[in-house]
Amino acid sequence: MSDKKSMILNVNGNNHQIFADMNEPLLWVLRDDLGLTGTKFGCGKGECGACSILIDGDVQRSCRFPVAYAAAGQEIITIEGLGTAGNLSELQKSFIKHSAFCCGFCTPGMLITATGLLKTNPYPSRDDIILAMNNNLCRCGSYSNIIEAIEFVVKEY
Amino acid sequence: MKMTRRQFLASLGGASLIFAIDILAENRTGSSSFGPVPLEREPECIADYTDTDYTNWIVFDPGENVRVFTGRTELGQGLKTVITAVVTQGLEIEPEQLTIIQGDTDQCPDDGPTIGSAACRVVGWGFWHACLKIQNYLVNSTSTKFGIASDSLEFKSGKIKIKGDDKTFLNYSEISTGEAVVIRVNPDSTVSTKQYIDKKILNVNGIDIVTGALKYVNDLKIPGMLYAGFKTPPYHKSITLLETINDEKTKEIEGIKAVEGIGGRVVIIGERYSDVTKGLSLVEAEWRTPTRAKELNIEEELRASSHLQEVKEDEGDVETALKSSAVVLSETYYTQYITHAAIETDTSLAAYDNNSGKWNVWASTQWPHKQRSQIATELKTNETNIRVIAQPAGGAFGGKIGNTVNSEAAAISNFAKAPIKLIYSRKDQFQLRSHFKAAVVIDITSGVDSNGKMIARKIDSYDDLAEGSTFVYDIPNVLTRAFKGNIPYHRAVVRGTSYVQTCFAIESHVDMMANRIGLDPFEFRRINVQYPAFVNLIDSVAENIEYSDNNKGQEGNEGIGIAMVKHGGAQLGVISAKVRVDRVTGQIEVKKICAAFDVGIVVNEPTAVVGIRGGIIMGIGYVLREKIDMDGWGTYTEYLGEYGIPRFSDVPPIIDIKFHDNLQPGGTVRGLGEMPVVPTIGSIANAICDAIGVRFYSTPITPEDIKKALGTDIENLNF
Repeated sequence: MSDKKSMILNVNGNNHQIFADMNEPLLWVLRDDLGLTGTKFGCGKGECGACSILIDGDVQRSCRFPVAYAAAGQEIITIEGLGTAGNLSELQKSFIKHSAFCCGFCTPGMLITATGLLKTNPYPSRDDIILAMNNNLCRCGSYSNIIEAIEFVVKEY
Repeated sequence: MKMTRRQFLASLGGASLIFAIDILAENRTGSSSFGPVPLEREPECIADYTDTDYTNWIVFDPGENVRVFTGRTELGQGLKTVITAVVTQGLEIEPEQLTIIQGDTDQCPDDGPTIGSAACRVVGWGFWHACLKIQNYLVNSTSTKFGIASDSLEFKSGKIKIKGDDKTFLNYSEISTGEAVVIRVNPDSTVSTKQYIDKKILNVNGIDIVTGALKYVNDLKIPGMLYAGFKTPPYHKSITLLETINDEKTKEIEGIKAVEGIGGRVVIIGERYSDVTKGLSLVEAEWRTPTRAKELNIEEELRASSHLQEVKEDEGDVETALKSSAVVLSETYYTQYITHAAIETDTSLAAYDNNSGKWNVWASTQWPHKQRSQIATELKTNETNIRVIAQPAGGAFGGKIGNTVNSEAAAISNFAKAPIKLIYSRKDQFQLRSHFKAAVVIDITSGVDSNGKMIARKIDSYDDLAEGSTFVYDIPNVLTRAFKGNIPYHRAVVRGTSYVQTCFAIESHVDMMANRIGLDPFEFRRINVQYPAFVNLIDSVAENIEYSDNNKGQEGNEGIGIAMVKHGGAQLGVISAKVRVDRVTGQIEVKKICAAFDVGIVVNEPTAVVGIRGGIIMGIGYVLREKIDMDGWGTYTEYLGEYGIPRFSDVPPIIDIKFHDNLQPGGTVRGLGEMPVVPTIGSIANAICDAIGVRFYSTPITPEDIKKALGTDIENLNF
């Protein structure tokens, strides 16, 4: 019953050859085969947004995204591709500055979704932000701080 | 099992200066269930080391580095950040010089569970007191050892030097006598204002969090590791038995290593997590149909099965006082089953290490030492054979104290003879757990005299502890009883504990009493509070919420509510909410929250504020959204969306938080993690009643409830 196949994934600007079941959720290939564990498992149903990634600039749920659908040359960006410790993106810096997290588990998904939003709408209103982010869940309830962090970037850059 | 002197000193090597910190355990956890350690020891001394149960350690290593040890863990409340703020300022060192070792049972003494809004208050503030004493010790020891006047010494960046002489210095560790020094502190004792710490720091895990580098349990991988998952049974575990497993359909999945009944659960072990989930969707199993009734009338079952657990308060003569009251009101309030719903599902990595002959279990936990004990029991071995290593948790909220995922992972690993990473699915998270924030039935009767003074109150709370009934109101005749129910679901500690249910009932009821006696709810509370500190807080929120005689707004559908709590040791909180209710759709919009808290010293404001806002948002979830769908056989909630944890769109546009320190005497830290949840609920319930004139007696208050109450639900619409 196995549908395993060799595929090329373009993740954070690098090509990776992988051998996986074509229907396997991209999430587990990223985490287990490529070691990119910043993308989190929270529900497996596309409900919480912790597994959010960018595929060709669009925000997608990697827990529901079959790996084969991402293996046709699309550009996949994970949290690790947004910025590194020495070279953080403005959103990443702003999240730190505005204490936009408690436990931090949902943060990668929040940052990916906010990055996707600012790519399509660089000057979102507060309502635009809420609408775009509304399917990303944070049980600690850091929402106000996340909104402030995004608004800061919108205002400053 | 406590760590002995020998074990600990051996693990540190020779030339360190070691402080064993004995944080006096009175009010250690904010919860009576973990038992206070006797206070008979002298709290203010620095004594020679003797073997006893020290709660924490501070170690000055050769050179200029400092290590601190705590068994308490990183859950999102920012303990590591608080300790960093406290210890770097208390010892005059740089953050780079400090290493914090948290939650590793082989390295850290058991200083209690990370619960009860007490991590910052007890461990964080305990370290502050310890640092002040260590400063004294360093100065006095140096002074004695070298015959230098203590007032000519100063210390900075791990060095002690003579004022004005930058070239001659000692590292802190060079004061070591080779013996550990015991420092006893009481974190609840006061310090003078000049000793407050003033530097605020951002979350020390910040860079790792925003780059995805922080390692939660699920992010760890060890050689030979396999994944495991459960097939969620249709009934609650306590009322059923696993009878048969049919794994015919899973045999074609090549990555599956085993399909097995372990601990009464169907377990699939596979090379990849996706093998496991695919197998779980194909495996068939039968469980015995429960013998108890499927129908669950919570009120009937609770009243029928409850026995008196605790008389919380019994003062004066309630019945006589009720007879002499000008107004008497009897009501019953109901709350729902609520769960923690951390975004990280329960996950554990367990592996037997052939070299050390020990089990290593990487855990997401609030209490590694308790988990160690549970795992030892499960594996029928000694605790010394188990090492629990706590990773940062992806949220906990009370759900990761005595949960079973770690012992389950160890049992499965023992069966598979391989390292196992066990992951709960979201469905498991809702349905395998049988511990929830209890649904409670609260009967409450009060009497008020003609001046609006409450003179009698009687509360019977079925299936929770009725915490939060004391202290707030000055009522001479009170009887508060807590009853324990006997139903298949157990009480869990969920953020706010039973303060949540009790204060929803009391604060709703107080508003109803005010209404009956014809007093404004803010004024009625001013008359009846037990401590003047509350009046200041009421005045603060009244001003910020822009309270007036007419709060209804232009469309006549807005309202303002207030609620109060005294939580834990002495955290006072008053919250006022402004809501808008759409009479047609039933939607409730929380427009503004104004909070006034007296929690003593706020140790690190950035992490405190985000935590408080989060608590308020969780309170909005409790009162307007969240509910576990269940009956006598099982739990049916499967998705986060249907459960209803709050989203961005639920966040009030304005959350105003004011700290009012020192309304009570003394510079202490009193904790604040859970308290904000509690008055949020009552204030919103009261604001809804103010907006539309309808009192709701049960939570959550949903749009359907609003439409039903206003006659705008579909059955009442006339097409």
